[in-house]
Amino acid sequence: MIQVENLSKKFGNITAVDNISFEIKDGSIFGFLGPNGAGKTTTIRILSTLIKPTSGTVIIDGKELSKNGEYIRSILGILTETPGMYEKISAIENLNFFSGFYRMEEKKRKQNIEKFLKMFDLWERRNALVGTYSKGMKQKLAIARALIHEPKILYLDEPTAALDPESAFMVRSFIENQKNEKTTVFLCTHNLEEASNLSDVVCIIKNRIIKISTLEELQRSKKGKKIEIVFNQPALKYADFFQNFTEVTNLEAKENKIYFSLDNPEIINPAIIKKLVDCGAEIVYFNEIKASLEEIYLDLIRS
Amino acid sequence: MNNALKIFKKEIKEVLKNKSIWLPILAVSIMFSVIFPGIMVIALDSFAKDPDMAGFIARVFGATDNIQVALMQFIIKQFMIFLLLIPAMLPSLIAPASIVLEKESNTLEPLIATPIKTSELLLGKTLTSMVPAFTITLINFVLITIVVDVLGYIKLNMLLLPTPEWFVVTFLLSPIISFIITMISIIISSKSTDIRSAQGLGAAVIFPIYAIIGAQIGGLFLLNIKYLLLGCLVLGLVCPLVLKLAIRVFDRENILTKWKMK
Repeated sequence: MIQVENLSKKFGNITAVDNISFEIKDGSIFGFLGPNGAGKTTTIRILSTLIKPTSGTVIIDGKELSKNGEYIRSILGILTETPGMYEKISAIENLNFFSGFYRMEEKKRKQNIEKFLKMFDLWERRNALVGTYSKGMKQKLAIARALIHEPKILYLDEPTAALDPESAFMVRSFIENQKNEKTTVFLCTHNLEEASNLSDVVCIIKNRIIKISTLEELQRSKKGKKIEIVFNQPALKYADFFQNFTEVTNLEAKENKIYFSLDNPEIINPAIIKKLVDCGAEIVYFNEIKASLEEIYLDLIRS
Repeated sequence: MNNALKIFKKEIKEVLKNKSIWLPILAVSIMFSVIFPGIMVIALDSFAKDPDMAGFIARVFGATDNIQVALMQFIIKQFMIFLLLIPAMLPSLIAPASIVLEKESNTLEPLIATPIKTSELLLGKTLTSMVPAFTITLINFVLITIVVDVLGYIKLNMLLLPTPEWFVVTFLLSPIISFIITMISIIISSKSTDIRSAQGLGAAVIFPIYAIIGAQIGGLFLLNIKYLLLGCLVLGLVCPLVLKLAIRVFDRENILTKWKMK
């Protein structure tokens, strides 16, 4: 659905986006992560045809970005960093106004307005001025606006920011459901848990792409795998035993558990287990703890 | 065009809700279209009896048989200039309000992310400024004509309005002025986050109009159809220049990266 090749954007001497390339498959959720100023919003703006790239090519839905701005904008829905709703008119007037720029049958347009206002629990207050809405309600209304024309691509910039836990859960479930609707979602977020739960592919950016792969691949590729051993007795007495293994790092003993890191567990783990059993240790569990996206992200960003 | 009309329709509703825009215009309109012309026509006799006034009229118009008619023609020329106040004032109030409001509510980015063309967005904003300005100018034109003709007929037994000059002012000069002011207001508003500083432009552009009124009252010159058409031509040449600048300002990338936002 989206193919980006060697995309760069410079503002004067500042390079906001540096030679990035990626491909997003039809109907998938693409998590786009990075610290503030990493070029996430600039990338979304380029992909929405709002700003021109300095170099590189982008093909969206088979069409070249620079020559098909109007078409591309007609198939995408965007949730910007701030909700950006007209506060002096009602929610229904806002949706009527924005949806008016898309080619839709009048009947379908009205149906969708009702459907999304009801979906986001805003129907009861549809005639109230948006200025009287809470931050969370405005955010939900902005998401409804992004969806109103049933776009093929959805750009979501921090969709659950400012939402209470219940609304955030609702929005996340909704994003997950977009897979069934075959909508391609470009999810820009700081919420790493959200990204790891929702994304098919995760892209970590800091002006240039640092890593792009599925979460499983990221976890597999992480150096220094974390191992947990659960004993049937206090673990502290086995802590010294690990000094024989120079490959072991970050050793930590807590009650009946020992945690440590290894670069090559496939080779070292059998030896550790054998030695421990030989010493009379009763091992209940021997687990590899998968790195969270947060750990991977921090590792990558810091390195 | 359809999208521009959608912008216009939404914004005109907001303008009508905004009393700080239309109340001063209503006050100025009633004052200059009904009260002042009425007083001037009623007080025509006393003005005509004033020897200084008679001397002034003789200086401006030359020898005249009927000083009252000459005086009335002089007054009409002043009111003709007042007709230009609305097309100058209204766009300088509406255009900045419309742009600064978009900035305050951060609605520009989602708006330009729709399939709307930037030319349609600019046209919608321009219509929001120009349509009310032209409508009110037209209403004022009709009101002044009625007041001056009714009272003038009673006093002088003649219909003084409309003259060809009034048609030029109403249908040619006033749209040109409101277009230029709208474009300049849009350009200035893109760099301003404060509605009052953007609207301060209104005071500045009205100044030349007051200067023309002052020059006429001082007897320096009298606007005639030749001067008015020349004015239209000069200002008409300015139109494409300000339009070109406004189009550049309204480029999507400019809006997101160069406009001063709240």
